[in-house]
Amino acid sequence: MIVTKNWLNEWIDLSSVATEQLLKTFNAIGLEVDRHEVICVPVGVVVGFVEACEKHPDADKLNVCRVNVGGDVRQIVCGASNVRAGIHVAVATVGAQLPGGLIIKEAVLRGVDSYGMICSSKEIGLPSMGEGIMILDASIGELINGKNLSEYSAFNDDIIEIELTANRGDCLSVHGLARDLCAAFNKELREIKQNVEPEGRLGIGRILQLQHTETYDVELLYGAVDVKGLSVPLLVAFRMAILEENYSHAMDTLLKYATHSTGVILRAYSFDALEDTGNGKSLITLSKDSNGYAVLNGKTSLSVVGVSQNDEARFTLNEGLAIIEASYIPPEIIAKKMGERKVLSCPHYYHTSRGSEPSLNKGVQYVMGLFEKYTTSTIYGGHLELQSPRETRVVTMNEEEFESFIGMKIDKTTLTQILKNLGMLISKPKTSAFAISIPNFRHDIVNKQDIVEEIVRIVGIDNIPSKPFVFAERNQNTSDFDTYKKVRMYRHRAAQSGFYESVHFVFNERRVCERFGFVCTDEDKELLNPITATFDTLRPTLMVGLLNSASANGKVNQKKIALFESGMVFDHARSESKRIAFILSGACEGEKISNAGKSPTVDLNGFAQKISDIIGSFEMTPHIPKHTLAHPYICAKVILNGQEAGELFRLHPSIEEEFDLSSTFMCELEMDALPYGLIQAQPFSKYQASFRDLSLLIPKTLSYESIKSVIVKHASADVKRFYPVDRYVSEALGENISLSIRFMLQSEEKTLEEEEIMAAMEWILTGLREELGVNLR
Amino acid sequence: MMETRALQEWINAIKSADTIDKIEEIRIAVFGKKGIMNAEFARMKDIPDTEKGTFAKELNIHKETLNALLSDRKLFLAMEHLSATMKSEAVDVSLFSPASARGSLHPVMETMDRIVEYFTAMNFAVHTGPMVEDDFHNFEALNLPKYHPARDMQDTFYFKDAKLLRTHTSPVQIRTMLSTKPPIRMIAPGSVFRRDYDITHTPMFHQVEGLVVEEEGKVSFANLKFILEDFLKTMFGEVDVRFRPSFFPFTEPSAEVDISCIFCAGAGCRVCSKTGWLEVLGCGIVDPNVFKAVGYENVSGYAFGLGVERFAMLIHRIGDLRSLFEGDVRLLEQFR
Repeated sequence: MIVTKNWLNEWIDLSSVATEQLLKTFNAIGLEVDRHEVICVPVGVVVGFVEACEKHPDADKLNVCRVNVGGDVRQIVCGASNVRAGIHVAVATVGAQLPGGLIIKEAVLRGVDSYGMICSSKEIGLPSMGEGIMILDASIGELINGKNLSEYSAFNDDIIEIELTANRGDCLSVHGLARDLCAAFNKELREIKQNVEPEGRLGIGRILQLQHTETYDVELLYGAVDVKGLSVPLLVAFRMAILEENYSHAMDTLLKYATHSTGVILRAYSFDALEDTGNGKSLITLSKDSNGYAVLNGKTSLSVVGVSQNDEARFTLNEGLAIIEASYIPPEIIAKKMGERKVLSCPHYYHTSRGSEPSLNKGVQYVMGLFEKYTTSTIYGGHLELQSPRETRVVTMNEEEFESFIGMKIDKTTLTQILKNLGMLISKPKTSAFAISIPNFRHDIVNKQDIVEEIVRIVGIDNIPSKPFVFAERNQNTSDFDTYKKVRMYRHRAAQSGFYESVHFVFNERRVCERFGFVCTDEDKELLNPITATFDTLRPTLMVGLLNSASANGKVNQKKIALFESGMVFDHARSESKRIAFILSGACEGEKISNAGKSPTVDLNGFAQKISDIIGSFEMTPHIPKHTLAHPYICAKVILNGQEAGELFRLHPSIEEEFDLSSTFMCELEMDALPYGLIQAQPFSKYQASFRDLSLLIPKTLSYESIKSVIVKHASADVKRFYPVDRYVSEALGENISLSIRFMLQSEEKTLEEEEIMAAMEWILTGLREELGVNLR
Repeated sequence: MMETRALQEWINAIKSADTIDKIEEIRIAVFGKKGIMNAEFARMKDIPDTEKGTFAKELNIHKETLNALLSDRKLFLAMEHLSATMKSEAVDVSLFSPASARGSLHPVMETMDRIVEYFTAMNFAVHTGPMVEDDFHNFEALNLPKYHPARDMQDTFYFKDAKLLRTHTSPVQIRTMLSTKPPIRMIAPGSVFRRDYDITHTPMFHQVEGLVVEEEGKVSFANLKFILEDFLKTMFGEVDVRFRPSFFPFTEPSAEVDISCIFCAGAGCRVCSKTGWLEVLGCGIVDPNVFKAVGYENVSGYAFGLGVERFAMLIHRIGDLRSLFEGDVRLLEQFR
């Protein structure tokens, strides 16, 4: 909502209010100032009257004008096509400095002397008002040649743009904003004076009839005007330019101006568009259309109330009989209708759906005033009206309620004054209760808290004290908080282990995910309105996002890329589950003296080590993933405490190539499978532990996994731990390799004797020999 | 009697010994089985009894002198050896200034952690909820009926089955109110989604919303002011806090909260659009229609909500919103 200070001044006396104070007040009462701009025409730009205008002898497009600038007539060469004798114009006199920095000097243009410049609105720092120079008229005040333009209030003003919240339709007009300011400044609203109708006017009833069976919650008011000498005065054109509104027709411009001023929705119909009844009167019929909207019809359709107007019924001439209509429909009714059955709407709909001004007379009066002042039109007497019965809303509340909502006591006199200034009627306060009648332009006020809000914004929230809330203490630990803490712990560990946390949108590209073999959201549950084609589905994995980021980092020559993300992924049924995923690509440390500038690249061992620093020791077992991101032979299931927690793999070489990455490892884990909680200490042996190695000759194809299961089966209780320590490959061993496994043996009761250790080892070896045919090397 | 000259030679030999090995040689030559000391003591038997006392006394003095000299010299040489060894081990430490190999937490998530820490310290419970929501929890119950113009404020992602991605974390408040009884004192941190993508909007961002519900008449606007002022000062340091009346469908009265610009201290700069204030929060007294939707009666409450990205960008002076979602190591490594 754009307004200027002087425009507001038509409705509220702001002469004693500094602009700073005005802006501050707007903000304080909940009308947020989005933009403030000062309009000020430079000194030396004055009113001039073009006495004569002749073609330049040497240039087709130039004119030589004689311009009266008050006591002095100057010769000025002007290139505008709309310059002519007999008009008032803005003249930048010699010495004036224009906003672009141009200083006006005497000049010779194609051999003709020129003493000044006839300006367009843009050249003197005003909004653009179309091609050519700005032609002045008396709508800005009496035109006195030589008078500085900055002395006219229209050209020395403040443009203020208010960011209105959706509930404040009543402030979508200059009048509405002024009304709210009146409450804030405790001032009276200047109502535009009712014109006393001159005698002998032809009554509207002679020419117009309104037919209806029901009111359909609509209010209508009609006036008629025989239009003559229609043009847009400068003041109106200038203010419309400030609003950046373009209207092709003069009637449209005047109506839009009146609507912006008063908040009343105004339309003009050509009289010919109405239905001729034959008895000299024309007819407008109110009915309901097939979509349930209240519509007005003449010969053809005229308009949908509050929504749109039929272009053919518009008054688009400069002369002739026009019917002016003001309409109102409650915003909640029209917005609901539109929500249920959307139809095409005109720009007015924004206003009607947020609440236009219901005092229709104000709007019609205002626009008729414009006709009277700026045209030679004849206005018909009286008006035709349709009212819908509406109940006045009354909210009853007592003084204590104000205090409990606000947290501060406000005295009854102040409360009463504020409510009155806001246009509310208060029945005589008996005891401490207020019965507050809500004016019909405030459709947003329905309950006690709405009333409290009005008090709060006028009193000013900054004037309310801060008070700590006293509450009963209570254990607020929730399972959601535990989950949050668990994730936070793993995030901290991941960062400590060298990974950078990253955050990606939960959107992926379906085509890409499916190409990699991931299962995306079921078609019938898929996103309806994705924002881009590359974000058209919910992510089934964190890995695609990490892969894209790693690739982007690689492209800017990042040598070590270590990222992780913890976040939600979605399965085909859109069920959410929390995961944490890691990617490590390229160098596994920085280049430095100790590695002679050549960092080793990441390998399975180094990557798995980093992951175990985060999640604890885990086992890797062979794994065939459901997706195609992984290297088929370097790919593992992550087993944590005997439970499958996720997968860890090297990226498939062809994917590494596609994403411009060097050796890259990834791991994705289910958050639920990661341990969190308190650790319970286990008893431990006080006796010395013994270590023994077994070096086995095993076939290349035999997995350690199967050896392990045999060892577990045959290990005595004293075998506490065993782990592979060396793997020897040599041509001499043929299809076999040598694998050394280290065993730790320890008893709870005593230091083990050599014979006991030997027996335990022998038992394991026997098992291996019998079950796998494996022997010592 | 040991000759003075011989004694002096041994003393000189010890003093000039320049290795520990040499000291060891001298020690053996003097105190060894076949050393001169034993030879001197062996002479005792040939000395007349009357002189024996004096002889032995003198010999013992010599013995102690030599012994002390030997161990002093040995200690000295050991020290010298050690310092020579250490000198040879000298490194140019300036070559080894380490670059940390630690990773970092994402500035948005770290900011979210700080926010959660504040409110849990204030005895708020943490609740989370699903990202895929329905119209009731995301809109209807929050006093945003289907045709409400305020729905325009939030451009929504819909699914083909009429579900949607939550546009705020407020549905978590609805879920919590439906599953528990007042009093409630909670925050809901999480990702939210709006169909908007430009220099100042991303289709996903993070919010923390808070809700307090108590008996009717207990919770006032003054309480809301207290906690938010304290919270903002905890997050941003000593700033001025300003409340502006505003409008949200789920609160009434509603306010937007500004802090004095942390870049220009209120003087007016590019970041605050020359206003001297930065908008950081929305809040208000819970609208009665919200309580009605969850079947609560005779209660009062306040609610607030904030965008975590905005906080993180202001606190860490990050200029580009979109950079927060690009996983660019050049940004992330600064938060180690």
